[in-house]
Amino acid sequence: MKKVVFFVLSVFISLFAATYRWGDSAHSMGLIKAEGGKALHPAFLESGWGGYTLISTATVIPPYSGDVRIVLEGQPQLSYSLYASHPVIDLGLRRLPTFKDDVFYGLMPGDRIALWAVIKPPTVDPVCKMPHQENFIRHTHNGKDYFFCSEGCLSEFQNSPGKYKDDRYVEGKYKLVFYDTKTDKSVLSVPVIFAAKGEASHAGQHQH
Amino acid sequence: MQASISTKRSFIVQHRYWIIAAAIVLFLPPLSFFFQLTQESSFCGTWCPRMFFVWKKGATASQFFMGFLRSYMGVALVVSIMVSTFFFGRYWCSHLCPVGGAMETGNRLVPKALKIDYKHTPASSIRYGYLLVYLAAPALGIGNLCCNYCNFATIPRLFGAAFSQADMANFLRGAGLVNLGLVAVLGVFAVGGRGYCNLLCPIGAIDALFNRLGIRVGRRVRVDGDKCNGCGACGKVCPLWAIDVKEKAVIDQLSCMPCRQCQKICAQEAIGYGKVQT
Repeated sequence: MKKVVFFVLSVFISLFAATYRWGDSAHSMGLIKAEGGKALHPAFLESGWGGYTLISTATVIPPYSGDVRIVLEGQPQLSYSLYASHPVIDLGLRRLPTFKDDVFYGLMPGDRIALWAVIKPPTVDPVCKMPHQENFIRHTHNGKDYFFCSEGCLSEFQNSPGKYKDDRYVEGKYKLVFYDTKTDKSVLSVPVIFAAKGEASHAGQHQH
Repeated sequence: MQASISTKRSFIVQHRYWIIAAAIVLFLPPLSFFFQLTQESSFCGTWCPRMFFVWKKGATASQFFMGFLRSYMGVALVVSIMVSTFFFGRYWCSHLCPVGGAMETGNRLVPKALKIDYKHTPASSIRYGYLLVYLAAPALGIGNLCCNYCNFATIPRLFGAAFSQADMANFLRGAGLVNLGLVAVLGVFAVGGRGYCNLLCPIGAIDALFNRLGIRVGRRVRVDGDKCNGCGACGKVCPLWAIDVKEKAVIDQLSCMPCRQCQKICAQEAIGYGKVQT
């Protein structure tokens, strides 16, 4: 009986874990092609998180070879850092493409790359979500600075500050684009979609 | 069932932790020697042993087969593990797996008072409940355990995080932190350090089935009922809580790996390694 109970419990907890969508991270797989490669599926991320991690893996399809510059495109511009998975100590057993200043150097057919994009959404007015501008009104609450587009938004915040905690926010469609440095043509474009909870039904799901 | 067992404490019995240490050094960062043979730096990708056999809803046969090609080293690893387990027991798990080995080794550094004892949980019930969802959820298109919860992704990145920002990035997200928590609570802070292996490792779950299937053909850790006095010392040291001691010790081959901690502790020399006598 004890074994049956634990089996059923295990199934239910595992089902919850399997169906839970991680809104702050996503994994996308794609193909780098000379004529312009595509991702298998867009990367969905849930709006409202203070930071995101996008894992983008790609395989280089023959005959493409070259250097690629990677850019996260969209408006408003996001602050991001790109990191490539690479052995800590390169033993020189196999040729590896190198990654520096957002550029992969020496990609060859068959290479598989893994890129980590750590994305920080822009500062916004926590009430209306308008991106921060220089003329915004600064207001300090519990030792933290918030910025508001108008007196109306500020007074709404002051009335119920607990309701408006997120002062970093992004929504909309972006693209992680891999450009060949010689031709400036896109060799891979990964759609990155930031959407509110519920709209992004696949938010953060790792699919392969 | 009569067994012909050897109680000899051979090199692999006496020096298991040195073998684990060698596997950790050769597999994990900063060296990642084996992965670098195939242009990789971790288990993810070519070496992934956990993803290729998971069929996802809507996938065609060719897409499913492509997964085998993409993770060809993972496929070779899993096939080797299953074949060797069938004949010799789960030596991959006990001696060679750098992930399980790292958790068990880390566990030795944790004070006894901080360790969590899972001995009263029926491991096989939890393990196969997890495996069922691991296979069924993607097949039904309702979610995924594979990758979202994976200590084969977490442990190498934990070793690499001190050196690589890409590895560190893994822990800057909710799923990365939950995985770290699972490794800590079920691994490093569990009595024996093998709770994760025993409960949530899908390769361990399939491997355990091969261990059970080959029980009559292959070599296993077995108890000599004539010598066993039921003292219970073996049950206390088993990291997989696979030994039930009532009047005599009984080993559950659906959980056992040949770490042979029980053999080392047994004063009666009642536990050894061998085949069933024919």
